[in-house]
Amino acid sequence: MEHTVSYLGLIPLFPLLGALILGVMHISTCTGKPFSEKLYGVLGCIGPVISFIYALIVYFQLKGMPADSRFLIHDAFTWFSVGDLHITMGFLADPLSSLMLVFVTFIGSLIHIYSVGYMSGDENFGKFFSYMNLFLGSMLILVLGSGPVVMFVGWEGVGLCSYLLISFYCKDTDNVLAGNKAFIVNRIGDLGFVLGMAFLFWAIGASGFDYLSLRENSHLLTPGIGLVVCLLLFVGACGKSAQIPLYVWLPDAMAGPTPVSALIHAATMVTAGVYMVARFSFIYAHVPVAGAVVAWIGILTALLAAIFGMFQHDIKKILAYSTVSQLGYMFAGVGVAAYSAGIFHVFTHAFFKALLFLGAGSVIYALHHQQNIWKMGGLKEKMPKTYWSMLIGALALAGFPPFSGFFSKDEILFSALASGHTGIWFIGVAVAGITAYYTFRLIFVVFHGQPRDKKAFDHAEDAPAVMTIPLMVLAFGALCAGFLNLPGIFGGNLNVSHWLAPSLVEHHPHTSLTVELLAMALTIAIIVTGIVIAYKKFASGAEEPEYTGFAKFAYNKFYVDELYNTVFVQPYKAIGSVIWKSLEPNVTDIHVKVSSWLYRKAGTGFKIFQVGYVRVYAVYMVIGLSIISLLLSQSLN
Amino acid sequence: MIQNYLILSVILFCIGILGVVSRRNVLIVFMSIELMLNAANLAFIAFSRFHESMDGHVLALMVMAVAAAEAALALAVVILLHKHKGKLDTDVFSLLKG
Repeated sequence: MEHTVSYLGLIPLFPLLGALILGVMHISTCTGKPFSEKLYGVLGCIGPVISFIYALIVYFQLKGMPADSRFLIHDAFTWFSVGDLHITMGFLADPLSSLMLVFVTFIGSLIHIYSVGYMSGDENFGKFFSYMNLFLGSMLILVLGSGPVVMFVGWEGVGLCSYLLISFYCKDTDNVLAGNKAFIVNRIGDLGFVLGMAFLFWAIGASGFDYLSLRENSHLLTPGIGLVVCLLLFVGACGKSAQIPLYVWLPDAMAGPTPVSALIHAATMVTAGVYMVARFSFIYAHVPVAGAVVAWIGILTALLAAIFGMFQHDIKKILAYSTVSQLGYMFAGVGVAAYSAGIFHVFTHAFFKALLFLGAGSVIYALHHQQNIWKMGGLKEKMPKTYWSMLIGALALAGFPPFSGFFSKDEILFSALASGHTGIWFIGVAVAGITAYYTFRLIFVVFHGQPRDKKAFDHAEDAPAVMTIPLMVLAFGALCAGFLNLPGIFGGNLNVSHWLAPSLVEHHPHTSLTVELLAMALTIAIIVTGIVIAYKKFASGAEEPEYTGFAKFAYNKFYVDELYNTVFVQPYKAIGSVIWKSLEPNVTDIHVKVSSWLYRKAGTGFKIFQVGYVRVYAVYMVIGLSIISLLLSQSLN
Repeated sequence: MIQNYLILSVILFCIGILGVVSRRNVLIVFMSIELMLNAANLAFIAFSRFHESMDGHVLALMVMAVAAAEAALALAVVILLHKHKGKLDTDVFSLLKG
């Protein structure tokens, strides 16, 4: 068959092999002298780069096919088969997954290269690259999986690597707790995903449980079951992509090394939820109610996280909240059935957010692990390369034209407006202003004004080339990625949307050109206002503010963590301790105790036969043999 | 008159058993075991004669060879036991008592 290509399975295999080799190398030398960092670095970067090359091959092969039958499949082997459920370890590359594939491997490769510089000198250098490769392999399985089950394998794989890498500096208890939190919150989401899959299989899975068959059978789904499936799958997406109410793990996840934050917790893994919703667009498109729920939760998350972001001190926390906020935009996009707009925002966001994180990593690296923005300042002249690339990233994040974020965010807002979700559009525009404000707050406080910590300032300098070159490449991406999907009013023809169209079920709403231009002008005006306010307040050197009232409330994240702790964690702990202290010893352990008591008593009974004298044992033997002979002679007669 | 041979064989075997279970000296126990082996030999030979076949002779010779090997081994064990405790009383060696 022309659609079957065997190299598709190799794409996730290269990073996974790299992870295996690096892991074995690290384990075998963890007590002795480790291998050189150069060797680890080269081995760690080979896998992602080869995968990137293959991703490009896949892309060009798809491009050469007719638009309505663009897909490649490879069924590696039958995984298991129970009743009607036949699960093949299969891979599917269609326009949607190929887009994800290309940018995941591209940004993954860049971040691996950057990490060679950032992690140098760390005693667990090999372990870090092993985990990173494992992550990339799992992410590629997630993206390429031909059905929900294979996607779930990757889904869990990236969750595991996220946990391992958040807790990477495991000598500090806080980091381990942050890893635990991420893992546990994700389990809640995963439960939703598994239940959603089960319902989906129960409803329409009997004649094939992969995307192509499901899509063909999606018309058999009743609206009620469809709604349940959509909402349960969205619970899974909420966990992985940090939406209300499961967003709490992502800011804590910043405990990991900065390249991890850039790769996993900004560019790739956290967008898996958006990818999943877009993947299941053939179901979501038939259930507008589910779409509305997704969109509203998305936009409210965007608003909440943006408010938190305005008041944070930690440079990585600000970026983490902005990630949560941007993810909210993406869900708003896919929720209003503008799947291609949401995926395009995933694409551009990956560039500018990875850029901002890597830039923040360079700043942290230069200031010897200082993360408080109120201890920075005036770094513009000391770190020009970092400054200029981060400025591009900030403009893209704020959505300033013509940077990439502008086109993708405007596409989402416009889709919300055009499909009649005026409330979502309104909040979205307001959040765009807040985003511009907190992004430029970060830029102005860190890079402008007077240095606040003179000693650290004097030693600060641009990072080595292995770190700055990925920054510049990403800056180029953040600057230009938007032009790939130029809307009609700028003379473009929405190339990315057209590319994605065969994978998705969507229709583009139309409004008059005037409305589109007016909405765009309003957004730009709000963004500029945000930047100007940030400039007035912070550009000429502000001091660390004392937060009171609402600001203090927002700085403490509305005390949501404390609330969750009281409402969920403590009751669970209480139940756990009840079970541990009274239920377990008195109820569940009873049969173990009884059987051990029986055996002990029986042993005491039989003990009297074991007298220890050889002649007594001889008597036993004679008796036994006599009985056997007697029985034998009986049976012979 | 095969019955007579067999009765003699049974008597010898029972004396052997009685020796094993009632005597405490290791050497006497060992001699009793030899007696039991020879009772079996006698039965083999008797049956061999009765059936007019050589199979019983072969087995009897084999038992003798095994008994010789066993004697060498058992006497070595007896010497070690004596070195260990200074006595040849089987009741001294009762480590397996439950």
